[in-house]
Amino acid sequence: MSLARWLACASLVWLIACSDDGPSGDGFDFAGSAGAARYAELCQVCHGEAGEGGLGPAVVDLAMSEAELAEVIDVTMPKNDPGRCTGACATEIAAFMKRGLTSSALRCDAVPPSARQLRLLTRREYRATVQDLFGAGAPAMTCGRATDCAYRDACTAGRCEPSACDRHTFVYDPQGRALRSVHVAGSWNGWPGTVAAGGWALTYDAATQLWTGSFTLPEGDDAYKLVLDERDWVADPRATASIPDGFGGMNSLLRLSCSGGGADDPVAGFPAEARPAGFPFDTAAAAQAVTATHVDAYLATAERLADHAAAAAPAWACDWSGDRAGCARGYVGDIARRAFRRPLTDVERARYDALADADVATAIHAILISPNFLYRSELGVAQGDGRYRLTGWEVATALSYTLWGTTPDAALLSAAERGDLDGAAGIEREARRLLADPRARAQLGTFALQWLGGEAVLTADKRPDLFPGFDDATRAALARETRDFVSHVVFDGGGGFAELLTADYTVVDATAARFYGLAAPTGGPGVVPYGDGRRAGVFGHASVLASTAHSDQTSPIRRGLWVRRNLLCQELPPPPPFAGGVPDVDPNATTRDRFAQHTANPACRSCHQYIDGIGFGFEQLDPVGRWRDTEQGHPIDATGELTDVEHLGSESVATYRTIPELARLVAGSRAAPACFVRQYYRFARGVQDSLAGRCARRALEQRFADSGGDVRQLMLDTILSRDFVVRR
Amino acid sequence: MSLSRRAFLRLGGAAAIAAPFLSLGRRADAAAAGPARRLIVFYFPDGVVGPSQDGEPSLWDPTGSETSFSLPVQLAPLERHKARCVFFRGLSMGPTDQGSHPGGAKKLLTAVDGGNGASIDQRLAASIGAGAPFRHLYLGAQANQNNASGDKHISYVAPGITTAPEDDPVAAFARLFGSAGGGGGAAGGDPRTPRRLTVIDNAGQELDQLRRELDTRDQRRLDLHLEALREVEARIMATAGGGPATCEHPVVDTGGITAATLYAPERFPQILRAQTDLMVQAMACGLTKVGVLQASHHTSELIMSRFAGTPMYDPGFDMRSHQASHYGPHHDPARREYRDYLAQRVWWVEQFAYLLDQLAARPEDGGTMLDHSLVLLATEVCDGNTHRHDDMPFVLAGGAGTIRPGRLLDVGGRRHADLLLALAHGMGDPMGSFGDASSGPLPGLLA
Repeated sequence: MSLARWLACASLVWLIACSDDGPSGDGFDFAGSAGAARYAELCQVCHGEAGEGGLGPAVVDLAMSEAELAEVIDVTMPKNDPGRCTGACATEIAAFMKRGLTSSALRCDAVPPSARQLRLLTRREYRATVQDLFGAGAPAMTCGRATDCAYRDACTAGRCEPSACDRHTFVYDPQGRALRSVHVAGSWNGWPGTVAAGGWALTYDAATQLWTGSFTLPEGDDAYKLVLDERDWVADPRATASIPDGFGGMNSLLRLSCSGGGADDPVAGFPAEARPAGFPFDTAAAAQAVTATHVDAYLATAERLADHAAAAAPAWACDWSGDRAGCARGYVGDIARRAFRRPLTDVERARYDALADADVATAIHAILISPNFLYRSELGVAQGDGRYRLTGWEVATALSYTLWGTTPDAALLSAAERGDLDGAAGIEREARRLLADPRARAQLGTFALQWLGGEAVLTADKRPDLFPGFDDATRAALARETRDFVSHVVFDGGGGFAELLTADYTVVDATAARFYGLAAPTGGPGVVPYGDGRRAGVFGHASVLASTAHSDQTSPIRRGLWVRRNLLCQELPPPPPFAGGVPDVDPNATTRDRFAQHTANPACRSCHQYIDGIGFGFEQLDPVGRWRDTEQGHPIDATGELTDVEHLGSESVATYRTIPELARLVAGSRAAPACFVRQYYRFARGVQDSLAGRCARRALEQRFADSGGDVRQLMLDTILSRDFVVRR
Repeated sequence: MSLSRRAFLRLGGAAAIAAPFLSLGRRADAAAAGPARRLIVFYFPDGVVGPSQDGEPSLWDPTGSETSFSLPVQLAPLERHKARCVFFRGLSMGPTDQGSHPGGAKKLLTAVDGGNGASIDQRLAASIGAGAPFRHLYLGAQANQNNASGDKHISYVAPGITTAPEDDPVAAFARLFGSAGGGGGAAGGDPRTPRRLTVIDNAGQELDQLRRELDTRDQRRLDLHLEALREVEARIMATAGGGPATCEHPVVDTGGITAATLYAPERFPQILRAQTDLMVQAMACGLTKVGVLQASHHTSELIMSRFAGTPMYDPGFDMRSHQASHYGPHHDPARREYRDYLAQRVWWVEQFAYLLDQLAARPEDGGTMLDHSLVLLATEVCDGNTHRHDDMPFVLAGGAGTIRPGRLLDVGGRRHADLLLALAHGMGDPMGSFGDASSGPLPGLLA
């Protein structure tokens, strides 16, 4: 069969399949097909997720036999490297294509349920969760003296207060021993043996019978000992970490960080979440596995939190001097219910009662390393037809983590308990309540920063000599700008999706305003118009522009790919083996000139026609996202072209002269809002793209388009979609 | 108390070598034949100067015969360990999905396209490594930079599931030798031990219960969780009553490494060295038998021109690893990318040689640690410009008891799956096959 005939026939059938919303498909098991996975890995990039075509021809309802198709694949595919998929690889893909990529199998009238799953808490979810369980709103932690509080807390006016990130209060309890002096000797002060030699003296307080001293310290990890009477070197009994001192004993370890990740960060030591290629979010459920490194970190953090919570227990609303055992069981049971986000089973209740009877701290410690806490369940209850339905508790949990990024609040758990979340009306009511809360704004900001890849602004290396003011405070302000801007557009401005890309204003604080040269808003972050036609929506955000540039030069390739991947969900095949790299820096040429070979060379052009024409448009925004009129004294040509915005291979070209024009072209496409739905679906559901989930996504895309790109509506619809509560 | 106590976190490696070393019991039969005691994989990103696009020969291939050969410039740092190394010619990774860097990184230790298999290090951690306090030790140097994850990490705990290396040597040190985590080095009874065992037992029961409600795929993930729990439990039990012999003098230079500098390119050499020292210390102390050191990650943005005191150093020009790897069609010394790429590759091999130095400097059973180790140098492509996978630049170092070192092995296109299988056999795991192309352990490699 000739390629031309193949293409013509396949395209025709695809059109039919596309326009058909007819009766149910033949129930092909996309999720269970081995060929589907191989197709996604090897073929999809050119032939499309559902065989709709792109850089390669459409392949739905192919006429050739399965054996013929397998041979074509074996001998000629993938086109850029034939021979990569032979034998079983080819036959599996052919079987999948002939059975799964058919117009009937791909029909979307009945949305198939998505898979039930367990979702390991991400680091940010864990942090927010323990904050909600034990932080604000938890019983007040009162103290008589410093030893009632955790290591990093101080006892101030009868309450345990966390120390500032660069300050620590050392406390030593002599337990009645009379001492003449206690001092701190460590890496900060050169391990002095005496106070005269520079030891930091603690002072004795007769009222509390403790030696204490509070010091401002540099960030970092430092080891120390306490020295009693300038003679006995002892490890700090309160320290939460220690390391060998080389003399058979241990030094205490104090870790201070003002940028997160310090010992007081509950997720210190937790491994980063795996983000599969093409999945920019930290929520990919199936890609996470708990290792011994996780368990060590869970155990250590839980130990600390449990000690703290157990010490706080007497302040809990219960008469501990009366029925002490009853109080302990009640306190532990309440924490367990909130931590597990559901009532305990009878077996669990008996087990935690027994633990609470023995020791409250142990019981809480156990709760916090339980899989029922660490994973949130989307397993549901079997319905007898091979499907499962999420319980009201699981719905409450999914609602809360999706919309707030944290554990359900008391009202949501009550709604689950009342059975309100067993029906769509109750789910919608609670979802609307959650959306109206400030926490929904923060969570949308998190989504936005991950969707746009703007998190890297915090860490991406920039040459200090070229960009001297690009410090940590500026980076943080620029990340915050993207969060604040997106939540402002969605929650305050009433603007739709298009406004995220095209707004002629941003939301900045004084630091970010200074960076851009914009008028600083009064007070906190506020709306500031761009006013110069140079930037538009997130296309102008330095968080994005710095993340998609190198340390010393811009990268038209990365910025072009950012539009293709993050905004349009269009993947391109990897570069051919002999692709050249970044052209040499040349003082006599602009970046655009140096990359001209991409479009001059036909081999490069086949892909770079989709990339460079976008990336060149950003050339007046330098490697940190500041405006520049010239590059090395040369004028900058920042005009560009956008090829095939809807669909690679469609051979349409639009030209533009400014970033706002480019933004309008992208925002006005059908591909960009559809991609936004896909990105939000990935983030919210924690599943990678699959044909099994394609129909649910398409229904959401349609509703999103009908709503004019109403993002709040999308957030609601993603929850209310038929494949949310019912699982397979 | 004249010696600075902080020294033990801050002094450099030289002191470590000089320090008296506690070896793990002695046997007279130096370098006895038999399985190696440990495996270390040392990974660096973005390939080497292999055959150029225009056909110039590789600058990685030794020249000569199997037993009489000379090393090319990129392998020169291994001259002092030549008799302890096996070099390969014609070792192929086969066709790789998605080509280039990600395809190679996924297949590097799994020998399966797309990373659809557990990697050899994790397989061996579960078999040979299971008796050690830490089954597996995965240390990185800036391997998580800018949220790098997924296919940029080379260790697969299960098909398609990578795990992240620990990039912070201070945190790793505390986990291995301190009391913060499992307390691998903590001697003496820890009063918190009973409580830790109680809560782990409770979690295990709940995992069992949860597991019964699941389909196979999620069951597998919970199995991994359960195994991790058992590992930590066993470690805590082993150290509870004073524990097994652990080393007296762990020494790692982490001076100046803080949360704020952990990803600064100029700190990279020091961080990699600290992680290397830590790996060797952990191995020397018997804390683990299987380790992976991952330096950066594929398509690395690491600015190697900020490494002071190296030939790449140039504070006025940023040259990244991946940028340099696209040096053009020729081996052209007139091109800066080429010159830097070559210098960078030599630097990576020097870091590997340093690892071998450390192992060779520690006596063990009448020989050295190196004699009882298998140490694999690996990167995800051959030539960084052509991205080919058909003549991969692996180097294997180790003891004559396990392999037949000091040779240049022409394997005529055999798959690297066979090399990984041979490593398993060399470690004493008799697994029958590994990966998707294994036709038996690489012939002529093992003693």
